[in-house]
Amino acid sequence: MDTEEKKSLLADTINEGEKDKAVKLLSDWASQFGYKETIFTVLEPLLIEWGKLWMQGKLSLAHGYLSGKVAEEFYLIASQSKEFLSSKKRSKGTIILGNIEDDFHPLGRRLVNIFSNAAGWNIIDLGNDVPAELFVEKAIENKADIIAVSAMMFTTAKNIIKVRNEIDKNGLTDKVKLAVGGAVFKLRPELVAEIGGDATADNAIDAPALFDSLLKKN
Amino acid sequence: MNSLERIMATITGEDADYQPFTLLLSLFGASLIKADTHEYYRNPNLWFEGQKAAIDIFDPDILITPFSITLEGEAFGSELVLLNKYAPNIKKPFITDLTQFDQLQAPDFDKSEAIQFLLKATDLIAEKYKETKAIAAPIASPCDTPALLMGVEMWIDTLLFNPKKVELILKKTTEHFVRFGNEYLARGASFLVIPVDITSAAIISEKIFKQLLPYFENTFNQIKGPIVIHSGGTKILPFLDRFAKLPNVIGCVLEHTEKFETARQIVGDKMVLMGNIDGSNFNKFSIEKIKEKTLEILNNRKNDKHFIFASSNADIPYDTPFETIQAVVDTIRNFKKY
Repeated sequence: MDTEEKKSLLADTINEGEKDKAVKLLSDWASQFGYKETIFTVLEPLLIEWGKLWMQGKLSLAHGYLSGKVAEEFYLIASQSKEFLSSKKRSKGTIILGNIEDDFHPLGRRLVNIFSNAAGWNIIDLGNDVPAELFVEKAIENKADIIAVSAMMFTTAKNIIKVRNEIDKNGLTDKVKLAVGGAVFKLRPELVAEIGGDATADNAIDAPALFDSLLKKN
Repeated sequence: MNSLERIMATITGEDADYQPFTLLLSLFGASLIKADTHEYYRNPNLWFEGQKAAIDIFDPDILITPFSITLEGEAFGSELVLLNKYAPNIKKPFITDLTQFDQLQAPDFDKSEAIQFLLKATDLIAEKYKETKAIAAPIASPCDTPALLMGVEMWIDTLLFNPKKVELILKKTTEHFVRFGNEYLARGASFLVIPVDITSAAIISEKIFKQLLPYFENTFNQIKGPIVIHSGGTKILPFLDRFAKLPNVIGCVLEHTEKFETARQIVGDKMVLMGNIDGSNFNKFSIEKIKEKTLEILNNRKNDKHFIFASSNADIPYDTPFETIQAVVDTIRNFKKY
């Protein structure tokens, strides 16, 4: 079976909602050809392809979610394999990710996690309803390059100002960039600057490129 | 012809005196009376005052009861946030952990402030207008309501991996839907409008949709009045063939980029088609542009006797210039369809 056939079979399996079967397929291929080969030639290209189709409205969010779950499980298995433990892919940098205080809309954040992880970033995901202080505390603890904060609504987006203040208060203004994202920033792009953000991306698939550009500025 | 007769003519395919229309002015009513939206979505009298102002000025053929599906989420226990110049939104879903499923209770109509607001506002609209105008009551779809209670992600996860939990939660939401839908109709709504943002091809797969279809069939069958399916903010065409065949469905509202010709191919000549100017972006249109867009839609549907001009997507924004809406209404009024 060539790479295209593998991608096609994996896509069909995920389409059918068969998460465990999809993870098993990947694991079987990994045992024959290696984890990196499987990730770089089958899984990641499929994730990127599906991400683009999702953005064009040609795939459902459920497809994206399921492919993300498959990727999450397979990355976990891969990370515990000898192949990965012995020569782990060099991380581009560390990102502290989370939904801001009072925000409970995790979908965008989780997709950012999946796509950024796939692109080689070390993601520390703090989950929903994260206080500003914790973002910065974790950034210091993990020597993070970027804090990425998600908010869906205007009311919660305003809480991101506290993260900006914490970053500045701790003398990290030039060391840790603040990326922001969520539906409200698409509707009101001027809000990014208003709440002290350094940049935003329109969607999860564009997030890794945004992080790359922010890293260059650090 | 009064508005009600005009709408009835459209449903039966007879000639009306002019092109019937409706606009989603639920939020804009607050703007007209300079009301604080925090109070507007809690006080049915204030909301009605805003609607009366909108009706007096724009005189739409279909009136719409409060468009705030999130209030139903609040009635189930989700935490609501009231916003300045916007309709309310869900701040914190009721269910944040799968173990909380068992605590979910269908709302008590008498005790829920949110349900009381929605029903009293409907009473006020119906009391004054039901003899002369059609009244549409937006209600959360039984299969979209779970997303208001647990967020979209957890609902997708549940649909994919927890079929038993899906059954449990839909038992609650379908019971509520039938009871609440029939209550709206009993209080004077002419038909229900059901947005299907979540039960759309943008969110769920074909396979999941097929699993949900029996719940729609079963609940729609128990509704004692007509139903219009609304695209919400997403595309409705991918699932329209199935939606159109559901019990009591008489029409659908297209998303603003969808083509009426394609919808007609799917549903045939008799079903009412509504839309499709982008209501949620009214504040970004120039007067000339919105006239042009309105005329484009009217000309496209000139020979369609089962067409009602309507704003698609969400509310017309609070800060939309009054003249923009007036330009749409004037263009419709001056259009010689018949």
